[in-house]
Amino acid sequence: MTPTVEKTLLIAGIGMVGIFVFMTLFYLLIIALDRFLPYQEERATEELSEDSITDEEE
Amino acid sequence: MGFEQLLPAIAGMTWQNLVMIGVGLLLIYLAIAKNYEPTLLLPIGFGAILVNIPLSSALTQIDPATGQVVEGVLNVFFDAGIATEIFPLLIFIAIGAMIDFSPLFRNPSLLLFGAAAQLGIFLTMMFASLLGYDLREAASIGIIGAADGPTSIVVASRFAPNLLGPISVAAYSYMALVPIIQPPVIRLLTSRKERLIRMSSGSDKKISKKALILFPIAVTIVAGIIAPSSLALIGFLMFGNLVRECGVLNKLSLSAQNELASLVTLLLGITIASTMTADRFIRVDTLIIIALGLFAFILDTFGGVIFAKFLNLFRKEGNKLNPMIGACGISAFPMSARVIHQMGLKEDPFNYLLMPAISANVGGQIGSVVAGGIILTLVPFFA
Repeated sequence: MTPTVEKTLLIAGIGMVGIFVFMTLFYLLIIALDRFLPYQEERATEELSEDSITDEEE
Repeated sequence: MGFEQLLPAIAGMTWQNLVMIGVGLLLIYLAIAKNYEPTLLLPIGFGAILVNIPLSSALTQIDPATGQVVEGVLNVFFDAGIATEIFPLLIFIAIGAMIDFSPLFRNPSLLLFGAAAQLGIFLTMMFASLLGYDLREAASIGIIGAADGPTSIVVASRFAPNLLGPISVAAYSYMALVPIIQPPVIRLLTSRKERLIRMSSGSDKKISKKALILFPIAVTIVAGIIAPSSLALIGFLMFGNLVRECGVLNKLSLSAQNELASLVTLLLGITIASTMTADRFIRVDTLIIIALGLFAFILDTFGGVIFAKFLNLFRKEGNKLNPMIGACGISAFPMSARVIHQMGLKEDPFNYLLMPAISANVGGQIGSVVAGGIILTLVPFFA
């Protein structure tokens, strides 16, 4: 096995692990964003702000 | 006045030039008649004709009368747009503006297929090094497996500019040939029972706008902290996506998706062709690179499908993944998702795999850019 092949083997190992680490982080990021910024909450906030504007106008 | 002085281009024409003009015509034919990646293959094909006519003023020449160097426009474009990586990075802004990450929020676990299906990059890199290519060249050949033209161009222009022509042609050609390459590999690796597995689409779930705005910013920060070398690739992609999602730059978003993408693709294609001169292209290397590119796409498909089968070992009956979805972890979007959806319908007319396939395919778009960033980070350490 030539030194270049050994290096590519090492890069392949680190590279595949690295991609999975990145993608797992992005996966966790999506889960966190989805949990802390859910769609329902956003609508509720909008409705709330509309209500408060109406209250102020009244 | 002799014939050579009267028509110097004909006098200087070699059989290699004629072959390259034939290659250019073939690429134009594939683009027009077969609709294979026409936005790229047509300019590349035309450019190949342009640079293989002897004494073409499109390339830098030495004026025989004065001995002075006369700059050719394609060399100027190459130095300004490819050597500096400006053209592919501008394309990334356009691609970012085109990507909708909502399907990933609906099926986040499918993001991992975007990692598994990058296997072909690294195995092809190893195979190229076994064939005698040095580390930088092997990495540039392996990146064809990213199934992502701009990423291939960025990596190849940095590590092996001498191989840029064949690598770009292979990357874009195989992206167009995904409907031919993937199905036989998938059929070979899966049983009919596996191909019949149905999956939930999750398409009714609505995604918060704030989450979609924060996602590209957070991804850029995370990627930048872990691998700053990958930031040019990931950052430009995510910037394009932020322009799309922010909601206040709709005109810029549409311009990025249409005018910017069209103009830069046009320049990118014809500029890549400047490397397709006969002396650089008609070599055994070109055939080897084209063969290795095919190998990379097959191994990508293998990686994705086998990873899905592996995950199924731990999933309960009724909640298993259709392993065909794994093949969508490549970056060829939305081609790969459509292919898998069609394959699913062929096995069972009521099996709609489009939504999970698109989720995995979007994961592949991120995965290929991450893979490119990792290659750009790791190779200089070992070279």
